[in-house]
Amino acid sequence: MLPVMTGVIPFGAVMGTAAHEAGLSVWHSTWMNVLVFAGASQLAAVDLMTKNVSLLVVVATGLVINLRFILYSAAFSPFAREAGWGTKLLSAYMLTDQSYAVMSANEAHFRNKQDALTFYFGSCVCMAIAWHLSVLAGFYFGNFSPRDWALDYAVPLSFVVLVIPTLKTWKHRAVAVCSGVFGILFRDLPLNVGLLVAAFCAMAVALLLMRLAGLTKSVRGAR
Amino acid sequence: MIDNVYFWSVVALLAIGTLLIRFSVIAFSNRFEITDRHREVFSYIPAAIIPAIVVPMVFFHKGNLDWLAGKERLFVVVLAAAVCWFTRNMLATIVFGLVTLYLLTHIF
Repeated sequence: MLPVMTGVIPFGAVMGTAAHEAGLSVWHSTWMNVLVFAGASQLAAVDLMTKNVSLLVVVATGLVINLRFILYSAAFSPFAREAGWGTKLLSAYMLTDQSYAVMSANEAHFRNKQDALTFYFGSCVCMAIAWHLSVLAGFYFGNFSPRDWALDYAVPLSFVVLVIPTLKTWKHRAVAVCSGVFGILFRDLPLNVGLLVAAFCAMAVALLLMRLAGLTKSVRGAR
Repeated sequence: MIDNVYFWSVVALLAIGTLLIRFSVIAFSNRFEITDRHREVFSYIPAAIIPAIVVPMVFFHKGNLDWLAGKERLFVVVLAAAVCWFTRNMLATIVFGLVTLYLLTHIF
């Protein structure tokens, strides 16, 4: 749990500071935190809202950032398969990068699904408390670390930590490189749609690579 | 100042959309089988999205170190990625990144 928290706390502090600097009240900031409960998309949304970007682009950008939850939802679904709708909905709400990381790190230790669910909810509650408190702390105390510590740098670092373990094959690595290059190339697109376009292009590359790999396999099979 | 109606519209749509994304596969887990092909497609999502967020964030940051052309954040993120690759340790990676950036910008 502890290593995961170290990613959450600076991230939360950065989020709280950003909300404060954008002129949001603590009421607005907290409701956003509780309702959306996805830091990376909130940070992007607050940033775009201060620039008065159109509603559609703000929401679409936030949702694209959160598309990675499909992967987490798929990874978690076996545990929630037999559970009731309430449990399913609650576990979906609680899905985060951190809860996914914790679940996949401990997968081998669960004796049964009930065990896994209990562990999941326990770790999610710890995470949520750490998250909300660190956002509040960031909101009230600004960047509460010593001034010359670049705490905002924890945001890109925590993303690096999320993506590296998913780069299992050369295809994943190639997609990641394309995504980064597209991110730079499309940064200055109008209406701040750069991230949206970059993510979709990178996903297209992924599908293309999957298809090519499938083709070479079937060609080899035919011989 | 962010307009109130604008803010709540963003929050409401983002909250509903995000919950639906999170709920997507869990909701239908007992209705249909998730095939290996689905899983493979899903597995590319972080690789397709996260670098597009991170790379511009560090690439366009204007830093202070002349000998790195002000790109110390880019430099450190590459080192941190290597640390993460070899150690697979979140805590080590984040601490390494923050400390290295601090040392680079304050001591050298």
